[in-house]
Amino acid sequence: MPWNNGGPGPWGNPSGSSGGDNDKKPTQGPWGNSGNKGNNSGDDKPAGGPRPGGQRPGGPFGGGGPFGGGGGPFGGGGAPDLDRLIAQAQAYIRGLMGGGSGRGPGGRSSGPLSRFTSSRGLVFLLLLIVVVWFGTGFYRVQPDEQGVVLRFGAYSYWTPPGLHWHLPWPVETVELPTVTRINRTEIGYRSGPGGTIESGQDTTGRDVQAESLMLTGDENIIDIDVAIFWRINDAPAFLFNTANPEGLVRGVAESSMREVIGRTPIQPALGPMRGQIESDVLKQTQEILDRYQAGVEVTQVQLQKVDPPAAVIESFRDVQRANTDAERMRNEAESYRNDIVPRARGDAARIVAEGQGAKAASVAQATGQAAQFESVYKAYQAAKDITLRRMYLDTMEDVMAHSQPLVVDDKLKGLVPFLPLNVPPPRPVAPVAPASSASVGASR
Amino acid sequence: MNRIFIAGLAVLVVVLIGADASLFTVSQTEQALVLQFGKVEDVIQAPGLHVKVPFTQNVITLDKRLLAVELPGEEVILGDQRRLIIDTFTVFRITDPLRFYQAIGPIPDNIRGRLNSVVTGSLRRVLGNNKLLDVLSADREHIMSTIRGQVNTEMANFGVSIEDVRIRRADLPKENTDAILSRMQSERQRVAAQARAEGAEASQRIKADAERERTVLVADAKATADNLRGEGEGEATNIYAKAFGQDPAFFSFWRTLQGYRDIFDAGAARLVVSPDNDYLRLLQAPPSDATGQPAASR
Repeated sequence: MPWNNGGPGPWGNPSGSSGGDNDKKPTQGPWGNSGNKGNNSGDDKPAGGPRPGGQRPGGPFGGGGPFGGGGGPFGGGGAPDLDRLIAQAQAYIRGLMGGGSGRGPGGRSSGPLSRFTSSRGLVFLLLLIVVVWFGTGFYRVQPDEQGVVLRFGAYSYWTPPGLHWHLPWPVETVELPTVTRINRTEIGYRSGPGGTIESGQDTTGRDVQAESLMLTGDENIIDIDVAIFWRINDAPAFLFNTANPEGLVRGVAESSMREVIGRTPIQPALGPMRGQIESDVLKQTQEILDRYQAGVEVTQVQLQKVDPPAAVIESFRDVQRANTDAERMRNEAESYRNDIVPRARGDAARIVAEGQGAKAASVAQATGQAAQFESVYKAYQAAKDITLRRMYLDTMEDVMAHSQPLVVDDKLKGLVPFLPLNVPPPRPVAPVAPASSASVGASR
Repeated sequence: MNRIFIAGLAVLVVVLIGADASLFTVSQTEQALVLQFGKVEDVIQAPGLHVKVPFTQNVITLDKRLLAVELPGEEVILGDQRRLIIDTFTVFRITDPLRFYQAIGPIPDNIRGRLNSVVTGSLRRVLGNNKLLDVLSADREHIMSTIRGQVNTEMANFGVSIEDVRIRRADLPKENTDAILSRMQSERQRVAAQARAEGAEASQRIKADAERERTVLVADAKATADNLRGEGEGEATNIYAKAFGQDPAFFSFWRTLQGYRDIFDAGAARLVVSPDNDYLRLLQAPPSDATGQPAASR
């Protein structure tokens, strides 16, 4: 295989010809490029020096063209205008063909000039074709792209953003994958035209039930929408290793998603394990894609929506309500308890206090009576008979004075039924007594 | 001059035609078979520019990349008699272009039919020995690698290497899905009812507990109070007994007199007495002497 890159073939080897230059300076072709230093400097601004016409207005072959540099066979010291260039070319060809021996350039003799007219036109046409052909080798790599140059279909080297030149078709071709862009693959839904990567959430998306409904580890069904964000991290691998990288990312991510959900019960999946699921899916998807050498880096897995299926979502919400209800009932009961228990403590304290009061009262009463008795008894012991008699008489007087006594003689029979026992006694009491009896009307 | 020029042109054209017929490129994503009158002369894996004998040899290129074939919606019966609809995708690479070309032909997509039947067969065999929960759970990876191994063996003669067989979706058939949905619903209803009932239970428990606490507090307090009262009475009784015990007869007398005062002091009671009463006896007759008692007395 003599024509492959890597050897000193007739088409040149960009990496070898400039003696140790790396792949990033691919335009050091055999035709030279000395007029375009900015071209190889890795400058990101494509509008810089190397653009044709930028430095030499009016010169279609200026800049990096094969005729522009000093190293070309027609190098005329940077001649700007077309006429002079053509004249030089004619002179050179004439010199090559040997027809103008001794004659100077410019053709003073009309004889040879007319002889060569048709040939000259043809040569010029050929040259023009060659120039245009070489011109097709220019390409621009945008800031978000990477240039991947293929020589005869085989990957050769890559180029950073900027203006570059490759050997024209059919020797080299270039592919321009956008490597910095974050791509979004949506599973379970398709965002509408309003959905962008920047806004993250879509507003006019539609659900794809076949993708979003999946079985959980406890044989329930869950409705999950997920967005996978990925970018190309190895452009040649992305271009050459798999037939349909975008489709592969989708398939692998969907497979991983279902596998992860397949070992997660529904309740954790609905809430606490979201972050865990995201990182598991990311990890597994990345592992598989790395195994395929797809040249893709998954930057983020974002669960957009995690819900029970629409058919049963109402009963899931009812569970939430039930929990709230239960909490409410518990709180009400707590407040009831907080109401009655302190009151009961108050009642209890009151009852105990009453008991203590009663005890103290009993003791106090007893003490008082005992003391009273003691003093009376002491006095009584001093003069027993007279004290006894005095106490009796004092008491009887007091009693009689307060109770309106009715003195009835036993001998007067039949009087008792007429006694007005149940009416309050008149005051002063009319004595109802035999004449022989003295009645004592007492009044207060 | 003209003639030389034309001759040069002619040579150039011939060279170009010759180059076109003898040179060919193999892309980075391809591999090529060089056939001479149908017989395979060369298998080219390396991309780049290659030479062949003009006009007698022709070149067939085949994809070298990883290719994915999706096989949708295969219904499989699992080891526990559950049914599952499985979508798979198979990732493979053409490793032996000659064999592949002999078995399938120039279009890689034509392998789909063969691959489909092989993968389906393997899927049924492997999943037939597994339970639903295994397919769902972590065992999935193992199942997939088993299937990959089987498919690889069966597809060996096709010049392909199966890199991966992945279960993309594993869903239950429609009727099972409905059953699961209604089970989920009843399950949620059960959970909701349980939550409410537990709320009521907690409520009742807290209330009853509170009421019990109240009753106990009051009863304890009453007991304490009664105890205190008893103690009070006991103490009082002791005090009384100690004081009054000195002279029970006098106590009786003194206390009776006190009682008389208490009873009649209010003025509500009337006293019907006989003139023979000890106190009133002087109403009837004067005493014989100042100290002597006319009648029997205490």
